[in-house]
Amino acid sequence: MKMKNNDTELKSLLQEWRVTSPLPPRFGEQVWKRIERAEVPSISLIDAVRAWFAMAFARPAFAVAYVSALLVMGLTLGFVQASNKATSLERQLEARYVQSIDPYQRGQ
Amino acid sequence: MKRAVVIVVVGLLAAVASYCALYYCGTKQHREMMESPAPELAWLRKAFRLSDVEFERIRKLHEGYLPRCAELCQRIAQKNSELQHIVSGPNVEANAVEQKLKEAGELRVECQKNMFNHFLEVSRQMPPEQGRRYLQWVQQRTLTPEHDMVRRHRSDHAMEHH
Repeated sequence: MKMKNNDTELKSLLQEWRVTSPLPPRFGEQVWKRIERAEVPSISLIDAVRAWFAMAFARPAFAVAYVSALLVMGLTLGFVQASNKATSLERQLEARYVQSIDPYQRGQ
Repeated sequence: MKRAVVIVVVGLLAAVASYCALYYCGTKQHREMMESPAPELAWLRKAFRLSDVEFERIRKLHEGYLPRCAELCQRIAQKNSELQHIVSGPNVEANAVEQKLKEAGELRVECQKNMFNHFLEVSRQMPPEQGRRYLQWVQQRTLTPEHDMVRRHRSDHAMEHH
């Protein structure tokens, strides 16, 4: 009974209360931003990358471009390395022939 | 996600496979030459586009030339050793030194003549155009004084650096 009386008193007190101090500038906008931030779930960088990864490779054009790029890269690197190796072996063989016929070059 | 991983792996495998295939094909001919019993002759065959018959004749010439060349080298080394012995003795005789120098010089000339004759014989076994190219190429690398000068200059230079 006493509690009910207190409640009534509190209600009347609250109704009498008036806020006199001014609100800070752009108060409403700030409140909405805070609500937005609270609503968006925070995701980690790894999750973001995984999501992007799955989304990107789901597109056939991207997957084909990726495989083609790696294929071209492998072919280019293989060609360059093979050319260098072949040139080096060619020089070695040429030198071996010259050394085999010229006794003055055998000690080199 | 699983599909993405599969595509990534397929891409990487394609890159590795294409690299290996091109490297293998690109170096196959030279690796085969290196593994052959006489790599230098295998190279000569490829460089001067010799047929089987031409190659066989040149191989025989090459095998016949090597013992004669080795014999001359041995005789030159013997003359050099004799010269060294005279020079390092207590009484150096100018006439004896001169004589040994002359003999060693004659042997060197004989060695170079032998080399040149071999080059001529080899070039004659090749098609005319390849034969001319061979003679020009081999003389630039062996008999021309310019080549010797450049070689000596390089070795002197290298010794200075060391």
